[in-house]
Amino acid sequence: MTNSTQQPLTPELIDLTNEPETKQEAIESLLNLAVEAGRVQNRERALEALQDREAEATTGVGMGIGIPHAKSEAVVSPTIVFTRATDGIDFDSMDDEPVRLLFMLLVPAAGGDEHLEMLSSLSRSLMHEETRTDLLEANSVERVESIILEAVE
Amino acid sequence: MIERTVTVVPEDGLHARPASQVVEAANNYDSTVTVGPAGGEGVDASSMLAVTGLGVGSGDKVDLTADGPDEAAAIDELETILTTPEA
Repeated sequence: MTNSTQQPLTPELIDLTNEPETKQEAIESLLNLAVEAGRVQNRERALEALQDREAEATTGVGMGIGIPHAKSEAVVSPTIVFTRATDGIDFDSMDDEPVRLLFMLLVPAAGGDEHLEMLSSLSRSLMHEETRTDLLEANSVERVESIILEAVE
Repeated sequence: MIERTVTVVPEDGLHARPASQVVEAANNYDSTVTVGPAGGEGVDASSMLAVTGLGVGSGDKVDLTADGPDEAAAIDELETILTTPEA
């Protein structure tokens, strides 16, 4: 499970079935997927890191996107978790737009600037309306996986 | 239009609080404000997604531009944010 060649995103880290209704619920349920996939050893510590980051500045980056993220010793390997909120949820976004696409980025404490690189590649890719539309309309986990992995390459 | 090159001081780089301060400031002016890697292409400084996509770290040089009626004030505020260490 913890080999270094593990992809940051695997099908078990994508949930297209359940949709969060609040920001808090979104963060908790994304984290749960990471915990269940064995990517996080200590849920409480990871949650604390995510909430500390959120308290510093919202990760609602606009254009309907939320990217809660954290670097923590509780994280086993670089991880992306994805879910959608089709109807849109309030994420304290700077442009006041409801969030429909949710990505959680988790990296180990020893990861250097890896999380910032993952965050900036993903953000650049999401600047394109086509990427956002593709993710909103994707109807299989495999399709979502390939769009996101291409985005962070 | 005014252009200015500054070195990013906050430890977080153009990320987290410094990034949100830049975006908030850019939204408060009528001028069009851009930020980008020194010598590279600038992006809309009023978009958090665009600013996050730059991946600018502490110690990196960035080019700022401001164009509009309040361009001088806008570029001064952005420079202040980017050259002030985080408390």
